[in-house]
Amino acid sequence: MPRASSDKSIAAAWGLLSAAILAGLVVVGSRSLARFDAALVGYTFATLFATFAITYRYAMWLRRPPTRLYWRRGWSVFLTPAYLRANIVEAVRRFTLAFAANRFIFRRGRLRGAAHWLIMWGCVLAAAITFPLVWGWIHFETLPGRLDLYRVYVFGFPVQTFPIESAYAFIVFHGLVWAAFLVIAGVMLAFRRRMVDHGAATLQMFAQDILPLVLLFAISVTGLMLTASYTWMKGYAYDFLAILHAITVIVALLYLPFGKLFHIFQRPAQIGVSFYKDAGAGGEQAICRRCARPYAPLMMVRDLIAVERDLGFSYEMPGAGEQGGGAAAGTGVSHYQQICPRCRRALYGLAQGRTWAGGAAVPE
Amino acid sequence: MPKPEQLHFFVDASRCIGCQACVQACTECDTHRGDSMIHLEFVDRASSAQTVPVICMHCEQPTCAEVCPADAIKRTGDGVVQSARKPRCIACGNCVLACPFGVPEVYERRQIMMKCDMCYDRASVGKTPMCAAVCPSQALFFGTHEQIEQLRPRSSPINRFQFGRQTITTRVFTMVPAARAALQPWVDVAAAMDETPRPRLIPLSPVGAADPFAGVEV
Amino acid sequence: MATIPADELRIIERFGPHRSAVDAVRQSTSAEPERLVKTHCCFCGQQCGVQLKVRGNEVIGFEPWEEFPFNRGMLCPKGVKRYLQGAHPDRLLTALQRDPSSAHGFSPLAYGDAIARAAAGIGRIQQAYGPASIALLSGASLTTEKTYLMGKFARVCLRTPYIDYNGRLCMVSAGAANKKAFGIDRTTSPWSDMIGTGVIWVAGSNVAECSPITTNYLWQAREQGAKIIVQDPRITPVARTCDLYLPVRPGRDAALFAGVLHLLIERGWIDREFIEAHTVGFDEVAEYCRQWTPARTAAVTGVPERSLQQASELWGTAASSFMLHARGIEHHSNGVQNALGAINLVLATGRIGTPRSGYGTITGQANGQGGREHGQKCDQLPGWRDIANPEHRRHIAGIWGIDEADLPGAGVDAYELFRKIDAGEIKALLSICFNPKVSLPDSGLVSRALEKLEFYVAIDFFLNETARHADLVLPGSLQEEDEGTVTQVEGRVIRINKAIDPPGEARQDWRIVQDLAAALGRPHGFTFTGPRDIFDELRRASKGGVADYSGITYEKVETRMGVFWPCYSEDPRTGRPLDHGGTPRLFERGSYNPIARGQGPFYFPDGKARFNLAEHRPAVDDAGEEYPLFLTTGRVVSQFLSGTQTRRIDPLVRQYPEPRMEMHPRLAAKLGIADGDWAEAETRRGMIALRAMVVTTIRPDTIFIPYHWPGEKSVNRLTVAAQDPISRIPQYKVCGCRVRKAAGPPAYAAILEPQQ
Repeated sequence: MPRASSDKSIAAAWGLLSAAILAGLVVVGSRSLARFDAALVGYTFATLFATFAITYRYAMWLRRPPTRLYWRRGWSVFLTPAYLRANIVEAVRRFTLAFAANRFIFRRGRLRGAAHWLIMWGCVLAAAITFPLVWGWIHFETLPGRLDLYRVYVFGFPVQTFPIESAYAFIVFHGLVWAAFLVIAGVMLAFRRRMVDHGAATLQMFAQDILPLVLLFAISVTGLMLTASYTWMKGYAYDFLAILHAITVIVALLYLPFGKLFHIFQRPAQIGVSFYKDAGAGGEQAICRRCARPYAPLMMVRDLIAVERDLGFSYEMPGAGEQGGGAAAGTGVSHYQQICPRCRRALYGLAQGRTWAGGAAVPE
Repeated sequence: MPKPEQLHFFVDASRCIGCQACVQACTECDTHRGDSMIHLEFVDRASSAQTVPVICMHCEQPTCAEVCPADAIKRTGDGVVQSARKPRCIACGNCVLACPFGVPEVYERRQIMMKCDMCYDRASVGKTPMCAAVCPSQALFFGTHEQIEQLRPRSSPINRFQFGRQTITTRVFTMVPAARAALQPWVDVAAAMDETPRPRLIPLSPVGAADPFAGVEV
Repeated sequence: MATIPADELRIIERFGPHRSAVDAVRQSTSAEPERLVKTHCCFCGQQCGVQLKVRGNEVIGFEPWEEFPFNRGMLCPKGVKRYLQGAHPDRLLTALQRDPSSAHGFSPLAYGDAIARAAAGIGRIQQAYGPASIALLSGASLTTEKTYLMGKFARVCLRTPYIDYNGRLCMVSAGAANKKAFGIDRTTSPWSDMIGTGVIWVAGSNVAECSPITTNYLWQAREQGAKIIVQDPRITPVARTCDLYLPVRPGRDAALFAGVLHLLIERGWIDREFIEAHTVGFDEVAEYCRQWTPARTAAVTGVPERSLQQASELWGTAASSFMLHARGIEHHSNGVQNALGAINLVLATGRIGTPRSGYGTITGQANGQGGREHGQKCDQLPGWRDIANPEHRRHIAGIWGIDEADLPGAGVDAYELFRKIDAGEIKALLSICFNPKVSLPDSGLVSRALEKLEFYVAIDFFLNETARHADLVLPGSLQEEDEGTVTQVEGRVIRINKAIDPPGEARQDWRIVQDLAAALGRPHGFTFTGPRDIFDELRRASKGGVADYSGITYEKVETRMGVFWPCYSEDPRTGRPLDHGGTPRLFERGSYNPIARGQGPFYFPDGKARFNLAEHRPAVDDAGEEYPLFLTTGRVVSQFLSGTQTRRIDPLVRQYPEPRMEMHPRLAAKLGIADGDWAEAETRRGMIALRAMVVTTIRPDTIFIPYHWPGEKSVNRLTVAAQDPISRIPQYKVCGCRVRKAAGPPAYAAILEPQQ
């Protein structure tokens, strides 16, 4: 399988590249590691590995013929100069509805939407806080001579100053606590569904559906325990908890590229596809060669024919001319894609019925 | 009690009476409550009462899964092609267009493709899928090969379908006359392209006419 | 005065029919049922076994019951969605009284007050006009216990001869024919006898839509070699693939059977030995059939000669056979003759009472069989006894503890009851399980008669269209709210199990009837503690009758998953106690029955079956010059009877929302009507405007309209009230009509929802 192996090397190269870029940024952002917290080195290596693996997998995914085609088509539709400005506005709108608000998930079920929304925002918040800290991109210092004031440095540059005893400081320094609350609430809702919903119970798999919830729960709980330890218990068992927490986070980072959570990186394709579908809907429609009714964008039908060919399918009709997807009805069928789904179902019925047309007799 | 892996789906659309019990029962399933995953359609009501129930045929090499850009459609170890994985499916509709049997559907509002999963909650534990359990004509039958052989001596189950040059082999079987299956163990679906549904399908008709009302004056 | 108390739209607004609401518990995919109740579907005569999922006091879904032998889990769409009739917004939770001052025409009333008012009203009318001034209308969807109680209530408590039931619109032609031919009125064999038979003749039954589960029996029989003949003016789903389709012109069935019998005799395809040994009357029938030459038969019936030949050959040369018929040949003013014609074909070939040969009429209602056996028919007493027979009267009077002289005589059929109401002879009405405004033919008369009633009490769980006329509505029970037995299509007595309690002030129907009896001051004989108690009396009452249930117990029914009657408690030969398993197959050679006493297998003193002259007589109001088309009516698979239940179940309404007028494209082209256009059909009695459904699957000289809808969508405003002289069944299946394209949609289209 030379193609598969070359796919793999290319993907691996992309993976190495992105890991290298991240490593470079860590060095630069932490001012040549001056601000890098050595205690967090385990986390850093886990994120580097995750970056490699996620990129590798993403690249492999893009090597699949249908994905590659959609990727290219999506970008080219999006980047069409005449529509670019409108597309950007539309992309922001769709991003907000789909990803910030999770509207489509709420439509599948209110509690289901709530669970996802809470988990997602908890994770986004936690990631936004911890990754820059781990990589040394952000650090806090008291101002020289002013022990009641904190200054924030990003990539080594001072950005903001605020009083230590302020409500703002309390909120900022407990950001991970709030994130943990969100995640735990979301995980609870999700677990509840997985326990009582018969549909979910049927289809769920431990590694795909349960493990990520367990991991998120473990990260959140151990994180809260750390806070509790240093806030109220004078650091009781702090070292042990810190290691435990680190383990949960590192396991989650290593799981990220392989399991269900990979959808975080895959899912934005939904936006790309929506532009492709819009372009298709606005363009010429394919007309079913059997019922003469439009059934799909012609562009999509043609693309699909090309993809199927790439994949080794041959739905071509014997004896018919090459290629197809033309709009005129009744011009003969060269490819089964030129038949609409409804007619395909009818044909399946007709073909089976025909075998019985002479009773149970032998065909001539 | 047969084991789940010995149980198969056998479809004989020629038995179908279009009552929609399957459609109504399908909406009762917990994995897609309220939506029917089975298609039951008149082939052409104006000219015939012929109906065809279409469940997912569960192809051995599913075109829908292959063309899915999100890699969201998976086939289980026991050969059931499942609905799109929800976190992955981007509702592009490629599967809808690709399926040679016209099975999957995209639910735009919920941004998901759903299709028949052979009532995985039931079939995977040896229970009969809802549609086959209720089907009054048993156009949809779920059971073992031994059962179908014993119940239907004049029919044979086959699972090869021809669409132009493409051969598709499925986990679901369709019933054809036994005598025919011996000679031609596949159904050429695309070859039915020129077929028009007829009011009557069967041998004994007056003076050979497919239209038994040919002689009735209006 | 039983006029409708308010604008019907306002009544509909409050009482429906509305469609079942989406309910959180039922929509939930996590609701765990607390228990599964094994019972049967509440709708048609197939009585499919089903398990209801129950949570709290609500039925939340179903699970197929694959062990029940008749349907093995199979259900039609009605059976699947039947559970949605419970916890319905239209459900009557209190009694109602007619109240023209209320916006919606009715106001609620405490149950006890309602019973007292009902009893007072009935008492007043009977005091003024005599006991026979009240009539009872009952139904064949009730359990056998309730039908028994209704018959007893009419005769013992109300002392009126006027009780009849809606099986009058259903099973009576077949029943009368069976009685005349066999001396017993039951399908001869379990359906499983069809598997392995040589030929099945389906006469006038759209099996696919009206008895869907039977389809699998047909197809299984075909797999084992059976040929299938379908006789119908429409190419129904089963007719589409059957071996021989006989496109009979509506109302010509007796001629068709006579023509086929003619050919059977001519070709020698009859069983002379059987005819000789086990029947009487063949010669007269043969003589009659002489005139039905193929040419004449073809001319009259519209079935081509070649098809007649093919039918005769298939039927005549088969080694075994099964004859099935239903309303298609029975709903005629010649209905009994038509059924007898079918029976004559069976008797002539001697193929009855053997493992692969049988005869059956497909019952339409839930208890189409049991409901016609135990005394709610106007001329009948329990155990299929005759109310005019002194011996029968004495037996039942003894069971009931009354003087035989106090037992009223025969009443009149359900339609005649309305004529009597119209004529002012009957002043009061008590109805249950019957919606005559939708289901009786020429329903203009029904509406007019209802308005003339001085007092009308309806028992129902929803306010059906007829009950809108009522002075009092007593809130009755759904099938799943009570227990009892019914007898399904094969003659198998089965158990209906209670799943939930009636909600609010609703009561089980037998309780309501007993409460009425008590309020009337005549509780004697109406102090049963429950259906089981009623059944025990029914067993004793039926003992010694043709429909002998004496050996049936609830336990036996449960453990055997149904018991076929007759089932004796004592050996009919010796009189010794007996643990009888029932009689799955009738007329087996050498079998013993208490009528023939060993003389033969049939239920006449000589043990022989009767050939009966089955004459073709032209339909009343046949298609002619002025009204050139045949109008025929029937069911669709997603609706049941007058739709009181099924028009309230949302998924079923969606499946086939409104009636459509089926017509052939050649007819449509002539009239300039396209599929989906509004068209008007008119008969001598009325007009209906519906959308056309243009299909090649119907005779071009015939239109078809399903009957489940009320008011302006009701085809029964057009049908003719001609009745069979013997069975008194109305002629629903044919009347002359004419059709034209409508100028536009009718007014109701913009006002009413499809189910209303």
